[in-house]
Amino acid sequence: MTSINKPLFQFALAVLVAAALPIFLSSGTLASEVLIFAIAAAACNLLLGYTGLLSIGQGVFFGIGSYTLGLTLVHTALSPLIALAFAVVLGAIVAIGIGWLAIRRQGVYFVMLTLAFAQFFYFLAYTFSGITGGDNGLLGIPRSNIGPLRLADSWTFYGFVAVLFLLVFAGLQRVASSTFGRTLLAIRDNGARAQAIGFPVRAFKIAAFAISGGVTGLAGGLHALLIGIAPLANIDYHLSESLLIMTIIGGTGSLFASVLGAGFFVLVSDTLSAIWPRWLLLLGVLLIALALFMQKGIWGLVERLVGLAAERRSPAAQTPADRAEEPR
Amino acid sequence: MIYLFQLMNGIGLGMLYFLLAVGLSVIFGLLHFVNFAHGAFYLLGAYFCFAVFQMGFGFWVALAVAPLLVGLLAAVTEASLLRRIYRLPHTYHIIVTIGLALIIQELVIIIWGPIGSSVPAPAGLDGAVMLGSFIYPEYRLFVIGFTALLAGGLWWLLEGTRLGAVVRAGSESADMIALLGYDIKRINTAVFALGAGLAGLAGALAAPIRGTDPFMGVEALAIAFVVVVIGGMGSYSGALIAGLLVGIVQSMMTTIWPQGAGMAVYLAMVLIILAMPRGLMGRA
Repeated sequence: MTSINKPLFQFALAVLVAAALPIFLSSGTLASEVLIFAIAAAACNLLLGYTGLLSIGQGVFFGIGSYTLGLTLVHTALSPLIALAFAVVLGAIVAIGIGWLAIRRQGVYFVMLTLAFAQFFYFLAYTFSGITGGDNGLLGIPRSNIGPLRLADSWTFYGFVAVLFLLVFAGLQRVASSTFGRTLLAIRDNGARAQAIGFPVRAFKIAAFAISGGVTGLAGGLHALLIGIAPLANIDYHLSESLLIMTIIGGTGSLFASVLGAGFFVLVSDTLSAIWPRWLLLLGVLLIALALFMQKGIWGLVERLVGLAAERRSPAAQTPADRAEEPR
Repeated sequence: MIYLFQLMNGIGLGMLYFLLAVGLSVIFGLLHFVNFAHGAFYLLGAYFCFAVFQMGFGFWVALAVAPLLVGLLAAVTEASLLRRIYRLPHTYHIIVTIGLALIIQELVIIIWGPIGSSVPAPAGLDGAVMLGSFIYPEYRLFVIGFTALLAGGLWWLLEGTRLGAVVRAGSESADMIALLGYDIKRINTAVFALGAGLAGLAGALAAPIRGTDPFMGVEALAIAFVVVVIGGMGSYSGALIAGLLVGIVQSMMTTIWPQGAGMAVYLAMVLIILAMPRGLMGRA
């Protein structure tokens, strides 16, 4: 594969994005939002791109993370770090539960089940409004300091988010390139064969779900910390849908693609929604165009451009062996 | 008495869910296509009904025109867009139909505004029936009777007619049907339009009961999925039983524990998956 998909290079790109956002954006809140959704989209991609599981229930874990962090900080004086840890753990636990149930069915049924679970948790949060605040959301989440870090300052908070983002990105890359990750790829490509070889496919899928759920829970917790409330919208179907759309727009080929997808989605929605509230119409058109003409998303486009540039620079460098490898 | 009232409501609601789910199920059965825009067709059905009614044509015209319009729109969409993506993996079906649903929802908001409206029950059916001390709205009785007739008609269409036989055979082997000389493309379009039209009809029938709002599509989509998951994909009787079950559970819960009514349906789904992972009527 091309060198742009090497883990180290991808990590360097992630560092570059984290460093570049403060230069190009004037709002620390917006910059934080980009990285928070990048975390959640990368977690979605671990399922879709690496395990072949299309989950429309990622919003559940995001929402659980938001509520967990919110409830912890509203009712106790614990550090935000501990509240975030709770968000990760609870996200992972709920993901194991949903995964355990939903993975009983495959393909389309699985997708339908994840959507049904998304609705279930939405109504759960809506029903127990005494705990979650229902329609109003859980209000007044404090953003207290972590040691000497004054998180109330939006760029300090961005720095905190950026560090977590890079840690999570590196962690997910480790997961993806480990034996575990390679096995996930095998399951994605041919589940029946992986099963036949003797891999406990179900356990692997549930493990992937747990990791994805925990990471998404972290993103949800960070988001609640960012905006100071845990709104009902954080556990809504539309959030699940948005996370999936970010993942697909970026492309499912690499983890960094999800960072691009999240950045594109957050920045475009921020810009367009101010101009035209009905911009989702354009998003719908974009999704259809993507499926018809650009199935590998933005990252696929980048790959193709890099490939073309490399070819132009050194046409002779392409050995017959390379060419033979290409049409797989 | 309140339970009988809610049971009747549940049956009416359940029949609407059945219409939704059977459309989804038929489309998947023949085309192997996951239609995430199904809820959007339901939404359109409700709004077309509302719009035709607003123009002064009366409810009956609206009820007839709305599903036809939805079906026509679905046929055009299928022939111009969806046909191109059947060969792609399910992921792209989902992405395209999510995009379609977004477009429809936003267009509805642009045309009719973000706030919902109510649709009055049609003249002649706006009263209530009294059986002793039991009082029930006429329109809801009509919905139950009409959908029951329709369910019978659909069953006949799928099980008793040549078209039904071709559709069922096509879901086993589309190539075989093509070899036998049937125009599989036209059958695909017709089946997609039928499925979407049923969703549109469910929306039009629901409009006088629950009113219209631009976000009713998502809810309907999720319910249709639940019914299909419980009933078993491709099973006509499964969709009927599961639709009624979901409708009755939801309706009964609004008496017992109103806040929990939304949740109860999904809880019932979880319990059924635990007990029988393939659904009530699902085949292995």
